[in-house]
Parts: sequence; C-alpha cells; structure tokens
Amino acid sequence: MKRTIAFKTLGCRLNQYETEALASQFSRNEYDVVEFEKPADVYVVNACTVTNQSDQKTRTFVNHASKLKHKPMVVVMGCMSPEQQKIFSDNSAITYLIDNEKKSGVFQLIDAHFKGELVEKEQLTADRFNYELTDPLFHTRSFIKIQDGCDNFCTYCIIPMVRGMAVSRPVDEIMDNIRQAVSNGYKEIVITGVNISRYYYEDVHFEDLIEQILNMPEDFRLRISSMEPDELNDKFISLMSHPKFCPHLHLCIQSGSDRILIKMNRMYTMPTYLKLVEKIKQANPLFNLTTDIMVGFPGENGADFEETAKVAREVGFSHIHTFKYSKRTGTRADRMPEQVPEPVKSQRSEVIRKIAEENRIAYFHKLLGMEQTILVEKIKNGRAQGYGEYYVPVKFAASNNVKENDLIKVKLTGIEECEDAFMIGEVIGF
Amino acid sequence: MDLKEQTVTKVDFKVQEVRLLTPSTYVLRFNRNNLSFKAGQYIRVGIPGNRQRREYSIYSGENDDFMEILVKEVIEGDISKKLKRMKEGDSLIVEGPFGFFNLNPTDVPTRKFYFFASGTGISPFHSYVKSYPAMNYTLIHGIKFIEETYEKEHYEDKRYISCTSRDEKGDFSGRVTKIIPIYPFEDDALFYLCGNSDMVYDVYNLLADRGVSTDNIFTEVYF
Repeated sequence: MKRTIAFKTLGCRLNQYETEALASQFSRNEYDVVEFEKPADVYVVNACTVTNQSDQKTRTFVNHASKLKHKPMVVVMGCMSPEQQKIFSDNSAITYLIDNEKKSGVFQLIDAHFKGELVEKEQLTADRFNYELTDPLFHTRSFIKIQDGCDNFCTYCIIPMVRGMAVSRPVDEIMDNIRQAVSNGYKEIVITGVNISRYYYEDVHFEDLIEQILNMPEDFRLRISSMEPDELNDKFISLMSHPKFCPHLHLCIQSGSDRILIKMNRMYTMPTYLKLVEKIKQANPLFNLTTDIMVGFPGENGADFEETAKVAREVGFSHIHTFKYSKRTGTRADRMPEQVPEPVKSQRSEVIRKIAEENRIAYFHKLLGMEQTILVEKIKNGRAQGYGEYYVPVKFAASNNVKENDLIKVKLTGIEECEDAFMIGEVIGF
Repeated sequence: MDLKEQTVTKVDFKVQEVRLLTPSTYVLRFNRNNLSFKAGQYIRVGIPGNRQRREYSIYSGENDDFMEILVKEVIEGDISKKLKRMKEGDSLIVEGPFGFFNLNPTDVPTRKFYFFASGTGISPFHSYVKSYPAMNYTLIHGIKFIEETYEKEHYEDKRYISCTSRDEKGDFSGRVTKIIPIYPFEDDALFYLCGNSDMVYDVYNLLADRGVSTDNIFTEVYF
C-alpha cells in the first residue's frame, strides 16, 4: 500500500527548495505527497524561526498534526530556536525532531521506519547539500543549492544561530547537480543558498563559480536568486552579458538610510549599493532589479524612511518584498531601544507597496516591444504563463502545441494592470 | 583551519579573573581553550544553564594564552551583571569567533591606521595593538569621563587620544566627531570605527566629507 506524506513549509525560499527536494524524493519512491490539510500517514513541518511570529506559526502546524486522532507520524525539521526545540522535545506526539544538518536524510529515516528497520536519527549523515533534484511537479526551474549558513550577523537576524556559519558546496558537486538537472529536462537553473555571494570553496569565489557554470556546454539559462550586495565585483558584473545569464537580480537593500544600515550591521552603505546599481545599469539599462525592504527597524525615524522610499523610487525596483521589522528574541535588535510602533510600520509598509506597484508598471512599459523567451509554467484556458529572461510574468495565447516547460519566444505587446500585474505576449517562435 | 568553518559552541571555558576598571566596567579573563581567532572578531558569551548569549569583541591579542573581553555592566541587563559576579574557576559558554572587522596583515607594516572607539568599542583595537605591537596607529577614544580610558597604559601616550564629553580632563574636550575637522589625517590612512551606531554613522560621514575614500573606512557597531 502506498504511504501518504504531507509537508508544511514555513519561511524562506531555501526552506521551500529543501521541502520540494524531499517531497520529490518521496514521490519517486512510491509515496503519495498530499496537501497538509488532507489525511496522511506522515506530516512533516519544515520549521522557520526568523521571527517570534514564525515560531508561533510553526507551533500551530505542529500542534495541528500532533493532535490528529489517527496518530500519524509527525516530523519537525529545520530552523528552530533552543526554546522551540525544548517545547518540541517535550511533545510525545512528535516522532522525530531533525536539525538542518541532517534534514537531507529525512527520507532515509521515515522510509526505514515504515519498513521496520532501525535507523536512529543520530545515524544520519550531516550534509546540508545532499538533496535530490526537485520534480518538475513543483517548478519548471531547477534550484541548485550552492551554499548554506551565514556569518554576517545582521543585528535583526537569527539565521547564523540556526543555519550555522557559511559553508560552501564543492564545485564538482554543483556541476554534477546541474548536468543531472539539464539531462532531466530542466531548461532554467536557479542558484540558491542563504548568502550565495559569500560562496567560497578551495579558492573559488562566487563569481568564479558562476563563470564556470556559464561556460558549461549544456543548454540552459542561469538565474541567480536573492543575494546580498556586499561581495559583488566587476568580474561578476562582466558575466551578466553572458547569453546564459538571466538579467535579473534580487539584491537585498533592507533600508535606504545609512544610519539604519549601520544599526542593522549590513555590510554595505548606500553609496556602495548605488554604485553597484549604476554599474549594473551601465552594463544593461533594462536589467531587472528587485529587492527586500524592512520597515520599522528600531530607531528608524521619518527621515530614515523617506530615504528608503526615495531610493526605492530612484532605483526603480520592479518588485519589492516589503516586510515589517519583527522582533526576534536572541538578536541584538531585539534589545535595541526606540522600537517603532506597529501602526507606523504598517503605514510605511503601505507606502513602499504603492511605490513597488508604480515601479512595476513603469518597468513593464520599458520592456514593451522586446522579445523574450518564456519558460512556460502553466497553461490554463488556452493561455500560457511563465517568466522570460528578465523575470517578468508574461501570459500569451497558447496553441495546442505549447506545453509546460517549453521555451517559447514572444514579443511583449501589452500590460495587464491588476493586483498581480503581468505582461502580455504574442508568440513569434519556438 | 579556515575561520569560516569554526561554527562551534564551546564549553570548558573557565574564568581566571574579573578585573574591575571602573565601578561598572571590567575585563573578564578566561582560558584560551584552543580558540583560534583574528583580532577584531567577536564571540558570544553565556553562562551554563542560561540560554541568553551576549556578543563581545575579543579584547586580548591573537597570541595571548588567555581570552579577555571588556564588559560594561548594563543596569537593566542580565548577562553582564552575572559575568561581573563570576569567580575564578566558574564555567562559561563561548560561541564563535564571528565577524569580519579584521586588519589585513599585509597592511600592518605599511599603512597608518586610525581607530575611532566609543566606550567599550575600544576592545577590538586593544586586540589589534596586542596582536601587532609594531603597527602605526592613532587611537581616538570617545568617553564621557576621564575614568573610562580603560587601561590606556597599553598604548603609547602619543598614540592614544581621549575625547571626554562630560568633563574637560581628556586630551580633547568634546565628542570624537569634533576632532575630525581639525586633525591632520594622512590621505592614504585606514580608518576603523567601533562603538555605538550614532558615533559610527557620524564619524563615517565626517570622514567621507573630508574626502576619505569609503573603501578605507571599516565599521563595527555595538548597539
């Protein structure tokens, strides 16, 4: 009989990737992956502890699974504060509690359990990179993890405590992983990790790794996911003109005020960030920049926020992931004075959201008339949708011979201005 | 060993002494326990049985056979009060080292360094000077009162400038920011700033306004 397994993922894209890789592994091994709300033999919660609220959300899902009457197996894994670990250790309904180091071995543990074999979690190999490829079931893009952990110690962030210090994956493993992904039919590779610009393995820096990947003979295009701006140099910028390089970066800024960046212990100042943006735009004026902005960091006053809003407008980020500063016990920011009231944070968040909307439409206008190769993610009611090289969402009328995971050349002809604005394309080739 | 690979929480650290510098500031010395670090890095320190940790820049030198941190007792704090009461032989938990507020050793024999500290932000500079005693530096220390010079005898007289903001007993009366427009800094010097964020921000901007390249300014913020 096929076993059923349900996953709930909280937090970052890396957590999402790791869950999808594990779910794919279960799916390939005769497990049915079902939604978390459905009955299942196993419930796996991939935890997040980035804020106190994340801890609360994690507990909600764990409590839901551990109180189910049919007494399923409950596995909690990932990022947990020591306090959270203690709570879960005391919960007898939780079968296994797994840290990030051993998370990649969850399949081995659960499968052995059902086969009646004795595998203790202590026997699992600690390996933060040993994930199988994700199934196209989850994404048309293949996420390749190159790095884990962070040692920047931003004053608001608990990640170094739970993901550990920065560690980089061997180059050969990354190359093998990409070759495997391409041979499995993936056409777009996305580089991911906690702080990927800090990649460093045996004298290979991040830009060296990217150069090696771009020079692989396999046919794919390369996308870089979210990254920090502090380690990007001229060599990396020169690689942006490579035909395989997708001209989009999610370049985290967090604040436009140097006073706040210093309090956050970010590794850059606004002049250095803006210099980097200038170089990128010089290399390609249409290069798509998106970012994260945190509003309401302790001590952020009206003038600081105005600087952030000004930078958001001037750089013209086409997408801004805006979030309100939220306390995280155990961080330096948690102990800082001048905490910003919630209503002020909400108001500032709304201002940034509106700027992001305006930027998005303005950016779409610049792309009108351009050709893009869309990786089709979904086809619905005769309309295909996906993302082009510049990472803008595009929809176009799809003939019967357009399939998911196809690369389709379109001309960008229109803009649909709605809550989740997108561009409209016309097919010009396959 | 690559320092990046050191992700350990270490136990078996034993307090050797608590050296009071002022009624509220002290140096906590404990055994080295093979901990490898670069001057300028910090550690997280805790007490067994207490989940809280606090970050402290390492005060001792790279080659000392002991570890030291400089601690300001925080009235409403928890860890700083408990550390102050520790006795010889008491246990500590230490995590780290962390951070990138380091010197480039190749710069040390050839460059002039300016260190700007506020209060206990002098700690990494103490570590620099102990680790590289021959280096060419000037340390500008912002404090409220002259009693807060924190073992200034470790530095040559000509290299240490106290800036007192609440009395007139320092080498310079006023905040460190006031000295910047009038001090003859060398154009190609390297500037290291450590302490509270307001001081770091103000000094950074004043130096940049004077024409110092921001590539030559390095910062570490305490709070």
